[in-house]
Amino acid sequence: MSLVLRVLRGLRSLLTGLGITGRESVRRAVTLQYPHETPDVSRWGGPIELVTFPETGTHDCIACNACARICPSDCFDIEGKRPEGAKKMRATKFLLDFSTCSLCGLCIDVCPTDTLQYSKRYDEAAYRRAQTVNDLLAPYGEDPYLAGKLK
Amino acid sequence: MGALTHLLGGLIGDTLARLVLGVAFIMGFLTFNVLFLIWLERKVAAHIQRRLGPMEVGSHGSLQTIADMLKLLSKELFTPVAADRYTFLLAPILVFMPTLCVASLIPVGDAVGFAEMPYGLIVITALSGLTVISIFMAGWSSNNKYAVLGGLRSVAQVVAYEIPVLLSALSVVLIAQTLDLQRLGDPHAWPHLFGLPLPYVVVQPLAAVIFFIGITAETNRAPFDIPEAESELVGGFHTEYSGMRFAMFFFAEYTNMLVLGALGATLFLGAWRGPILPGWLWVILKSYAVIVLMMWARWTFPRLRFDQLMSFAWKLLIPLALANLVATALVLGFAA
Repeated sequence: MSLVLRVLRGLRSLLTGLGITGRESVRRAVTLQYPHETPDVSRWGGPIELVTFPETGTHDCIACNACARICPSDCFDIEGKRPEGAKKMRATKFLLDFSTCSLCGLCIDVCPTDTLQYSKRYDEAAYRRAQTVNDLLAPYGEDPYLAGKLK
Repeated sequence: MGALTHLLGGLIGDTLARLVLGVAFIMGFLTFNVLFLIWLERKVAAHIQRRLGPMEVGSHGSLQTIADMLKLLSKELFTPVAADRYTFLLAPILVFMPTLCVASLIPVGDAVGFAEMPYGLIVITALSGLTVISIFMAGWSSNNKYAVLGGLRSVAQVVAYEIPVLLSALSVVLIAQTLDLQRLGDPHAWPHLFGLPLPYVVVQPLAAVIFFIGITAETNRAPFDIPEAESELVGGFHTEYSGMRFAMFFFAEYTNMLVLGALGATLFLGAWRGPILPGWLWVILKSYAVIVLMMWARWTFPRLRFDQLMSFAWKLLIPLALANLVATALVLGFAA
């Protein structure tokens, strides 16, 4: 008798299983068709980038090295130059080694000119370690302060 | 088809022409269906796991299997140095043959099929058991411990599960009083309820369930896929096969599913009978119903352990199928 009971119980559990997968199969897919659809990145914090201010059309990095000093992983390599007659420096080199960056965000908090932020980039890949070093000044052309176009 | 037979018949004789065209037609039909089935399997799997599955090649990924086949065609055919060379090369070719023969025996309408036989069911059971020999050839000749284990498991499994399949088919045969698949589709012989002919599944539900479990095991499909259990045997019997040779085993599995699904439809679901649509379409639709159920089961149930698999067959399925057969015989005997 116990065998019959066991078989019937087993059969019921099998049917329950089929019921579950059957129900799931008609529900909406939860996956993203990646290259065609992109994920919602509004809450995503990607690799650190410089903020471009609309008033000046450029970043506001004064090469103070505050970020480099607070960085726990020593990611930054920053050099700056003072434009003629100006009080503040301008960054001439701003490298961030993303392979060691842990995205802790301390540099964003400490930046006196608020010119650092998390980017929305999420799909980067590199073949060599050297390629993980981001040149944050790359998107900008000639510096308008250093060129004397802005004071 | 008739005109083509006539044309070819002038060249090589009528009988041979019919044979050649029949084989060509069945090959083409099976290939097309297998391409579709592989796509269907991936879609069923995807939707059960709440994915979309192949979507890129063709509309809703409908050409994905063809793309995959082209990729497999371009791959290197690797033969292990220690392999039993000729057996190794022969196995993927032979694995197709029994299924091909069986496919030609499935009736698709009132008219004569490609091959008509009064003892069709016996021929089918005899032939479908041969597939396992190719699988064992593949496993043995690979000279790989995983492949040998997969082959051994396959043999043990098919030997065990052929019996309940045969016994449950026999229960239907007892009622139908024929081994001719063509006559199994005769609604006059079917059980009647209020003058309405009913397919055999209505009076033989237990046999239908046993038959379904049996063919799932015979096609080496989950939850009975221990001959190729990925997590323990790498790829089982086809571990050492690459490229198109691997694809042949893959194709054979799906051809087998199609043919055994069609056999199930013929035995239990009323063969090619059905309203409005033509007979061949009903056979395909009913076979597909069986196959979708097999796919559904594959993506729902976990794989059985080997000893569980064997004791399930010998201790439960075979006694159950036997009891069902005896009960059918007794009922028929007292009713007569």
